[in-house]
Amino acid sequence: MTTKRSALRAFGLKPALCAFGMFAGAMPAAAQDTTLTYMLWSPEQVEIEAPAIAAFESAHPGVTVKVQAMPPADYWPRVSAQAASGDLPDVMAMSSGFVQEWAAAGNLLDLSPYIGDSALDGYFTSAVNIGNIGGAQVAFPQNWVAPVLYYNRTAFDAAGVGYPNATWTWEDFRAAAEALTVDENADGTPEQYGYWVYGRYAHTDPWVFRNGGRYVTADGSALDITQPAVNALAFLASLVDDGFAPRPQELEGVRQQDVFGMGMAAMWVDGSWNIDNTRKLVGDTFEWGIAQVPMGPDATPETAAAYAWADMLAVTTDTEQADLAWAFVQHMTGPTLSAADFTAGKVPAWTATAETEQWLGRGQQPDNMELILEIGEQPLYTGFTRNWSDWRGYAAAGSGGLNGELDEVFNGRKPLSDALAAATAYGNDVLSR
Amino acid sequence: MNDARLKRASVLVALYGVLLVYAAVTLLPFAWMLITSFKESREVFRLPPSFVPTLLFGPDPLANYTEVLTRHDFLLYFRNSFFVSTTAALGQVATCALAGYAFARMHLPGKTAIFALILATAFVPTEVTIIPEFLLMRGLGWIDTFLPLIVPSFLVGSFGTFMLREYFASLPNEYGEAARIDGAGPFRIFWRVYLPLARPALISIFVIAFINNWDELLRPLLYLNSPELRTVPLGLMRFVGEFEAEWALLMAGSVASTLPLILVYLLGQKYVLQGFAGGGVKG
Amino acid sequence: MPQHAPRTGARASQSRLAQRPARWKHWLPALLFLSPAIVGLVLFRLVPIVWAFVLSFTDWRIFDDIVWVGFDNYIHILSSPVARQVLGNTLWFTAMYVPGVVVLSVSLAVVLNNGLRSSAFFRGAFFLPYITATVAITLAWRWIFSTRFGLLNHLLDMVGLQGQAWLADPAWALPAVAIVSIWKDAGFYMILLIAGLQTIDPGYYEAARIDGARPFRRFYAITLPLLSRSLFFVLILALIRSTQTFEITYALTNGGPNRASTTLAFYIYQNAFVHFEMGYAAALAYLLCFAIGLVTLLNFWLRKRWVHE
Repeated sequence: MTTKRSALRAFGLKPALCAFGMFAGAMPAAAQDTTLTYMLWSPEQVEIEAPAIAAFESAHPGVTVKVQAMPPADYWPRVSAQAASGDLPDVMAMSSGFVQEWAAAGNLLDLSPYIGDSALDGYFTSAVNIGNIGGAQVAFPQNWVAPVLYYNRTAFDAAGVGYPNATWTWEDFRAAAEALTVDENADGTPEQYGYWVYGRYAHTDPWVFRNGGRYVTADGSALDITQPAVNALAFLASLVDDGFAPRPQELEGVRQQDVFGMGMAAMWVDGSWNIDNTRKLVGDTFEWGIAQVPMGPDATPETAAAYAWADMLAVTTDTEQADLAWAFVQHMTGPTLSAADFTAGKVPAWTATAETEQWLGRGQQPDNMELILEIGEQPLYTGFTRNWSDWRGYAAAGSGGLNGELDEVFNGRKPLSDALAAATAYGNDVLSR
Repeated sequence: MNDARLKRASVLVALYGVLLVYAAVTLLPFAWMLITSFKESREVFRLPPSFVPTLLFGPDPLANYTEVLTRHDFLLYFRNSFFVSTTAALGQVATCALAGYAFARMHLPGKTAIFALILATAFVPTEVTIIPEFLLMRGLGWIDTFLPLIVPSFLVGSFGTFMLREYFASLPNEYGEAARIDGAGPFRIFWRVYLPLARPALISIFVIAFINNWDELLRPLLYLNSPELRTVPLGLMRFVGEFEAEWALLMAGSVASTLPLILVYLLGQKYVLQGFAGGGVKG
Repeated sequence: MPQHAPRTGARASQSRLAQRPARWKHWLPALLFLSPAIVGLVLFRLVPIVWAFVLSFTDWRIFDDIVWVGFDNYIHILSSPVARQVLGNTLWFTAMYVPGVVVLSVSLAVVLNNGLRSSAFFRGAFFLPYITATVAITLAWRWIFSTRFGLLNHLLDMVGLQGQAWLADPAWALPAVAIVSIWKDAGFYMILLIAGLQTIDPGYYEAARIDGARPFRRFYAITLPLLSRSLFFVLILALIRSTQTFEITYALTNGGPNRASTTLAFYIYQNAFVHFEMGYAAALAYLLCFAIGLVTLLNFWLRKRWVHE
């Protein structure tokens, strides 16, 4: 609060704001009737969490939880405005992409003092670590996701190719992609491509990190695209140039997450959250499974980091009831939510919930959901930095930064080296600002 | 003469041809919207795209509309939007009428500068002023009320002020002079003589202001918390999820939310033309 | 519309008023009339605008503290290749949108003003895009422009023309945004222009016809000069509108590919609400305002020599 006030004072507005009751809003609420405010970015999640929230309220008599949800594109402007006025909710949803900036700005409460030694038992350690910024536990995971390789078993069987497995090299992958590219009527446009790469972080970065590549320096202060990263991107670009994957512009107008499910490509890498959409889309038109992205030729098992990120809950520094807020966070991330409360492919941060038959989705495709849990045990790397949305390209800025340059590469308009040089120059300009 | 008539007829046919083609261009996206609103959600992105509104042949053709209107409380959102848009538009008409009249027919040192400011400030993008505005509204204690949506729009309207200034300036001076000689004060002259003459312009400003307020998304999003205060665009955003949007419902909601605007346009159409004709756009 | 006395009437009365001593009694009513607008202007326009202007000299991520940086933001913008690209896009968009929408709306207005019986229907149809929810209708356009499954490429294919990746090709993305924007707004300007056309005395056309002037000659000699005030108004509105494109860009191309369709307003949105660089966004906005201000001044200067009054 203090920093916000001094900021306002700098503009001579503090007296006016006081007069209009800024402090009235900051007065502690009466002890019996407490309201806990909670904001999240998924409107449909509100209905899902309603029973859990009701349970929290009945366990804490006199406490009312006020929930507010809006789509992600609207959520961040809204909470930012509230942060500017020192008006953040007690508990807010936080993503791995923004947690560093929000922590650096002093908006997120370090939960370490509240977390006893035992409180971490039962959670995926790697997921908890995503919310640990410089030793401060500023956010706590509710669920986490990891990118996986989706593959169409029916197409593999038809082409006589063995399914992806842990020993696959990138050359195995390329050979499979070639064999799975099918142009039956020989019109030059395959009805089925071997692979589909769209060029956003979830589609390229798993390859980069599994090859031991990095975009940024260890302290995240500058862009420095390493050779293994370049090699990984060159590998993907060659798949497109060779015609084993469509140029993204060819499929403009088709939602990228529908390409695999509609059978237009036999393999695809994207976040595990797409399992839900793919299930709905595929139905029983073909059989499919998931695998881990193959380890790259430049990596060793130690450097081939898996990629994962988490949806977290954070207690804000604007809260006046940190104990209650932490209790709520624990309640909403722990065993209270059942497997059914998670979109298929989002892994509950509470291990026991993730290991239930229900979350593993027995009887549904894919039949090997355990794979995601195994990825969660591996060393993880997220690659997020300050201003990530700017240099990488994200949301309404998704066409800029590295995204925009990679689009040019995959659409065959720009050589990879030029594109990466441009992206590095831009990224370093952003990070130096 | 026969020749001329033939020529006139062929011109007419060509004219209609062009008009019909362009009408097809304007209406086609609507057709898509309308058809989509009668599809099941998973049918929306089927390839190749289909023009068949599948739900119409099913047992419950209006399923998307009933779901939007009932499950999502859209009737309430409509009432809220209607209240906000009507009040804001009425206020804007009143303020613009007073200001436009004063700019056109009254004397005040520095009024040209004020007028220029009202016009010039319309150029500053909302994206930048919205955060200071948010802090201001919070200071006023107006968060989670309709006031931030209504009051600013109530008090300033560049387009309306500009138009009404021109409109009042174009009205004959003699009416006012006559009333003044009869002993009428400035308020009476405005209220009894000039305001009734400006009715078409006032109605057209109301129509435009209503449409603009109805569509506003950013401000409701920032200022409203309570579900019972939601406006229609906010309600529509509920169909947009983290990864997925319920397109069929979104389209049904969009079609439904356009209907009041079409109604307002149809009711005001006659006056809109007259109003613009007499105002800033006089030929 | 009733025939009004010439506008000079109002001017004459103003100058008469001006000749009298400016005692407060004379301007108190005006002040009262203007007071709501002045309150609104100061509180809800000038306060946020001045505040944002001050912010343009700061480094402020909305959720973080404010740091004073002087002219750094402006210097950075002027030296940034991306900002230059965005500026270029904005100019190119304006160059497509303003003439496009003006020519289209003038044509529609002139055609519909010819007293066709079905004018009201066409007017309504052409106005419809203006009042439809932008995001929803833009999605329809996205489908029309789709590379492999889009209606446009399908139609081109039928007449033997080569289709394009309209929304994914840097050369075509911004024109596509311009086309949808023109399509959406033309009906509104058309209504303004029809209103203007209806004030032209039909006697002029009658006289011209008797003199044997052909339709195009009549358009240039009578319609255009007599419509110039409406045209000027439409031009100003179109100009403002062309610098504020946001929703259509967002839903159609998201500013891509590789920023090819990112215009200044969209870039400001990205900086303000994706990167939360409010200080930088504010500086961009004030550069935009400065540019628009210059163009508007130029316009008013042109108006003096061009508009027929």
